[in-house]
Amino acid sequence: MPSASTLPGVRRIAGIVLAVLLLGGVVAAVVAGREEQDTGTATKTVRMVIGSEKAEFFADPDVVKALAAKGYTVKAETSGSWAMEGFDLKGYDAAFPSSQVPAAELAKKYGVKQTLARPFYSPLVVVAHRNAAEVLAANGLATLDEHRGTLKMGAYLDAARGDRTWQQLKGAEKYGELTGTLYISSTDPETSNSGALYLAATSYVAAGGRLVTSDADVERVAPLMRKLIAVQGAQQSSTDAVFRDFVSGAGNPLVLVYESQIAALLDDDGQSPGDMVVLYPDTTITSDHTVVPLTENGRALGELLGTDQELRMLAVQHGFRPQDAGTEFASAASDRGTYLKQELSGVRQAPVPTSAVLHELARRARG
Amino acid sequence: MTRGTRPRTRQRGRTKGRTTALAVTLAAAAALLTACTAEEQAPSDPGKPVPGTLRVLASSELADMTAVFEQVEKDTGIKVRPTYTGTLDAVDLLAEGRAKERYDALWLSSNDYLRLRPEAAKQIVSETPVMSSPVAIGVEPGTVRELGWKPDDVTWSDIDEAVADGKLTYGMTDPSRSNSGFSTLISVASGLSGAQSALTDADVEKATPKLKEFFKGQQLTSGSSGWLAQAYDRRGDVDALLNYESVLKARKDLTVIRPRDGVVTADYPLSSLASTGQEVRDDVRRLTEALRTPEIQRLITDRTLRRPVVASVPLGPGLDSGRRRELPFPGARSVADGLLDAYDNELRRPSRTVYVLDTSGSMEGERLDRLKTALTELTSEFRDREEVTLMPFGSEVKSVRTHVVRPEDPGAGLDGIRADTRRLSASGDTAIYTSLEKAYERLGAADRDTFTSVVLMTDGENTAGAGPEEFDDFYARLTGHQRDIPVFPILFGDSDRAELEHIADLTGGRLFDAQQGSLDGAFEEIRGYQ
Repeated sequence: MPSASTLPGVRRIAGIVLAVLLLGGVVAAVVAGREEQDTGTATKTVRMVIGSEKAEFFADPDVVKALAAKGYTVKAETSGSWAMEGFDLKGYDAAFPSSQVPAAELAKKYGVKQTLARPFYSPLVVVAHRNAAEVLAANGLATLDEHRGTLKMGAYLDAARGDRTWQQLKGAEKYGELTGTLYISSTDPETSNSGALYLAATSYVAAGGRLVTSDADVERVAPLMRKLIAVQGAQQSSTDAVFRDFVSGAGNPLVLVYESQIAALLDDDGQSPGDMVVLYPDTTITSDHTVVPLTENGRALGELLGTDQELRMLAVQHGFRPQDAGTEFASAASDRGTYLKQELSGVRQAPVPTSAVLHELARRARG
Repeated sequence: MTRGTRPRTRQRGRTKGRTTALAVTLAAAAALLTACTAEEQAPSDPGKPVPGTLRVLASSELADMTAVFEQVEKDTGIKVRPTYTGTLDAVDLLAEGRAKERYDALWLSSNDYLRLRPEAAKQIVSETPVMSSPVAIGVEPGTVRELGWKPDDVTWSDIDEAVADGKLTYGMTDPSRSNSGFSTLISVASGLSGAQSALTDADVEKATPKLKEFFKGQQLTSGSSGWLAQAYDRRGDVDALLNYESVLKARKDLTVIRPRDGVVTADYPLSSLASTGQEVRDDVRRLTEALRTPEIQRLITDRTLRRPVVASVPLGPGLDSGRRRELPFPGARSVADGLLDAYDNELRRPSRTVYVLDTSGSMEGERLDRLKTALTELTSEFRDREEVTLMPFGSEVKSVRTHVVRPEDPGAGLDGIRADTRRLSASGDTAIYTSLEKAYERLGAADRDTFTSVVLMTDGENTAGAGPEEFDDFYARLTGHQRDIPVFPILFGDSDRAELEHIADLTGGRLFDAQQGSLDGAFEEIRGYQ
């Protein structure tokens, strides 16, 4: 088993670059499987379209080796998960979006009847600078436990509804940077998975813990969604970019990212997380990486990713949580200091609206 | 045509073909590069693809990255070939699909404006921030003391108050031409509007009186950060510069203040393009990886005084780790364009320019036609409240005609300029210096609260009237505000580079090259300095 410190730096940077979020309809051709590293045992080539945040996983030489040991060479091209619906996937063995909803749409489109494998997932979390996290805690918007805590989404949405500013929160006056409207920075919900999932989570909370399904539901939550997005101004198109700005000390003090990104940062030698606090929203959405098999090889690979111990371990190293959680993430999480939760107890998973509803929410939110 | 005038152009129908406009802009960029890098020839055209070389359309501030590019080339074998441009021009280029096959990557100081233009944004497939620098104000230390400022506590309102009290003047780059100017404008407007979240049209409207007051303090404008710094040094009576922190810190003689109520930060995303193939994108990815290694991040922050994006790399010398609120960038194009439009036509001091135009005998034919075309095209650029004087000359000044672009009827002034342009005819010798002296006399010594300058276009050497020494003496005798009037000569036809360079140096102007670039390009580029 490769140690956790072998390659995370390379992986992380590669992944950052490949964290391409495309709803624009372009498939970014990235060969993730490296042929030169194939071993003689690799016989089956599996062509996949994958969500970009998994590109570094499939590019990792250890992953390539582990797949080769089982007889697979993966050729992956990245695409925004929500853009895959628009492609002709003829000739591909599988699609591997980062969310269940586009996966379900794809399964419907291609007549896939079987249960879809979801080998791993990663929850959306909010990173905060310590000053901001402490002010939120002092005002009942969050609870803190050293480097991590819980963000109370109901209270946060109340604040957003009321255009609450940092200046109105007690304790904020100590910190010059905490002025202006309180908000979480997300990516553009019209073009990016995490931005869309942000609306999924907040609309669920705003609707009183109910999934938004009807036009009337959309009508009811749309003004708040609009507020959450409009306040941000121009939005970035990838979670990597917002996370990088956060790390460099620029940008908003509250940023929505995937937990896997933080894990990658923490694992990267020499990367001090500074004064970062990880807030797990009490209601969040997980990015469920779901395999839509289009051929038998695609199906077998999807299954392998979820069952093979070594591949599960490698997924954990990339910050993903394997499905049917064994102890892998928890034990890795303990190495990730006090930033990550070993288990997601106490975090409510909101369901994701249908693709059509989510698109409509995003459209209304962007105005 | 520039963004600055574009919103107005749209509103008032002062249209010009966008393709032509773009060509002009590109030619202008090319002209500028050839003009300012006489020794060190910069590429004016991205050229053909070369394996291992990335043709990068880049913000002009990235010119300070040469040492970093060299190191990256050593490490990876990837050569960066930058073509420098302003953000707004780059966004146009992308939106119009003209980056295809010309460029392999895009590297602007920020993609914020690009995101407001969906047709440009969809040309980007991935973007990775490489470094960051916030907008700041660099104030002469004596002025900081006089104002009683504690640098950590200064807000945009404090700055505005100092300007309103006549205690602070500053220079900044032209927001339509320069990335730093554009970010500065957004910072100032957000800071002064009191907007608690992303700027809206209503915020801009509300803040307009305050912004007007603030921009009264702007004594220097420039199409580039480099010339702005030179002009600041030359003038000696301007108190501050608004620019990116990295640019201000590099000067070492200014107290650099990041206003505590917030800044806009440039994060320099290296972006790969949808129009490129897999191999190119792979090279862009390798370049990005290399730029984000701790070693290169250290080199970047130490050399360029921008902030690293890798947490383990310490800040470069003199950079302060205190946090600032990030002012959100407007989420709608109408807000950004509306702000540019307001800046040009309402907020900034108007420009006042004498165009000293060679119409000697040698201009006869094609050259005169080019001049007429260029001037006619230029009329779409003139801003509200601008005063334009045409001073054609041969053996002596032939006529002096002044037009003002009045906000209530801009068409009248512009029609006048066009009519006078049509009437230009070629005859006589070339009295460059005598004509320049007339231009200075025309502009006078009084401060009229304008950006005042002279543009000199000539296609030959001086053959009549005063000689260069006499002009030197004339200039030496000037007093007051007349001494602050720069001449921007345009190298054209058979004009003499050394002669024109001397005029630019003497008066604090800058030479523009229409021998290598185009005449319309030169006129257009000079707009950033007027």
